[in-house]
Amino acid sequence: MRVGVLGIGKTPHKIQHGKSLRDLVVEAGRGALADAGVEPADIQALYVGNVGSVGFNYENSTGLMSAHHLGVVPAGAVRVEAACGTGAWALHLGCVAILSGLYDTVMVLGAEKMNDLATVEGTSIIAQAADSKEEYFSGLTFPSGVALTARKYMQTYNLTEEDLAHTSVKNHHYGARNPYAHLRFECTVEEVMRSAKVADPLKLYEVCPMTDAGSALVLCREEILRDQPDKPQVYVTATQMATGTWYAASDTLADAHALLAAPAQRAYEMAGVSADDIDVAEIYNSFAIQEPLGVEALGFAEQGEGWKGAADGSTWIDGKVAVNLSGGLLCKGHPLGATGSTQAVDVVEQLRGTAPPDMQRPDAEVGISACRGGPGAVGAIHVYQRLEGGE
Amino acid sequence: MTVSAIEFSRLGPPKLRLYAMRCGACGTLQPWWEHHHCYACGGSDLSEEELAGGGVLTNYTVVYYPPRDFLGQEPYVVGHITMDEGVLMPAPVVGVAPDDVEVGTRVRSTLRRMKLGHEGDIYYSQKFVVDDERTPTPGPAEG
Repeated sequence: MRVGVLGIGKTPHKIQHGKSLRDLVVEAGRGALADAGVEPADIQALYVGNVGSVGFNYENSTGLMSAHHLGVVPAGAVRVEAACGTGAWALHLGCVAILSGLYDTVMVLGAEKMNDLATVEGTSIIAQAADSKEEYFSGLTFPSGVALTARKYMQTYNLTEEDLAHTSVKNHHYGARNPYAHLRFECTVEEVMRSAKVADPLKLYEVCPMTDAGSALVLCREEILRDQPDKPQVYVTATQMATGTWYAASDTLADAHALLAAPAQRAYEMAGVSADDIDVAEIYNSFAIQEPLGVEALGFAEQGEGWKGAADGSTWIDGKVAVNLSGGLLCKGHPLGATGSTQAVDVVEQLRGTAPPDMQRPDAEVGISACRGGPGAVGAIHVYQRLEGGE
Repeated sequence: MTVSAIEFSRLGPPKLRLYAMRCGACGTLQPWWEHHHCYACGGSDLSEEELAGGGVLTNYTVVYYPPRDFLGQEPYVVGHITMDEGVLMPAPVVGVAPDDVEVGTRVRSTLRRMKLGHEGDIYYSQKFVVDDERTPTPGPAEG
């Protein structure tokens, strides 16, 4: 399969008190339209990833709101929701829509406006993405649910908190260089260890911030992009989704691995590439522990060893595979519905060679994005390739 | 978590008891919320089974940033407790300082106030305490 990436756009990822959800939608969407060189009237369907506008912003029908304010009317528009995998699911639906042959050109957009509310309210809304009625009845939150996974991982592989802290150091190294990132500072292992406790053993520098942002892609049939050789020839070459365990109580490390490993295997087969071919990867890490889990699931390291790449350099920009050169969610932040689409935009920038200089992997040709949500419930994999000259 | 009085009438009372759900097809015991689907075999014949109340703390975290209905309790410990019957239960562990919690500790359930809802609704449910013989079960209040 090949789906052309005709255009990309994204807003800064940060707290934006001066902007509304619709402002973020329009900024990201118009950016992608301009980059694609198409008009709103050229968009035949609009897939809008948004997790919590009902709670965060007291508004609903985000898909229809977006269509109106972008002028993408009368094309069909829909809101997509799948916890933190929302933006990736919007991308999946956009790809499937093109592959079906029904549409020539569609837009995928993710947006979340999280900072109209205080942290305690946001935490409660985010908790609704898991079973807030029953499992989280006992005081669990998303950070604490994933903290249980982190402790399980440390116990199973006999690791220390310092071992896992390297992941945050790497993400912050690159996040500091990403003008679109929310948290732009470097940190050391010692500073990660000293940062405030959030949900033991997770500390502040191992937890993503709540962020306001939008991002968008214009997708098209392969031939449409192929016929415009002056445009960057980047294609989505695999899209695979999975469902896993909704409950932390039954989410084993094997489950957490399979959630991304199974769709990744299918995606590699779909694209006709292997883990060894991947130059750049954007791996979901709203909490630092999720990066090593993703590194292992994508086949870049054995289980229990995915944390090492951040310590020994093999997942840095000049390593075997560059992981989260954007700074990951730890630095970009995690604007829930936009996270998956921003991962896609960031990989496409890498393959186009247009990432900021300090973040650009030289000659990147094959990329992958791995999104998870729920936090054990949704797995989403996309493979992207730069294919010049009709390869 | 905001709930209406009607929803509270569904959610609240069952939390007063300590039980798990037994699958009639494969016998797997699973947490109280599995009323429709056995995660082990996919069976749909599930029935409540009372638990004795004892277990071992097999994993835990300490919550420093709580949701609204737990405000004021932080930092608090939430554990994964493997009950003697074999099922894993998530629940707060109280009466122990966060720094003193250890995996492998024997714990037992106790009915406590769990949290306060938005509308002033008060939830009581099972929390766990360290099962230390030196800590006698509380008797009737003196005086």
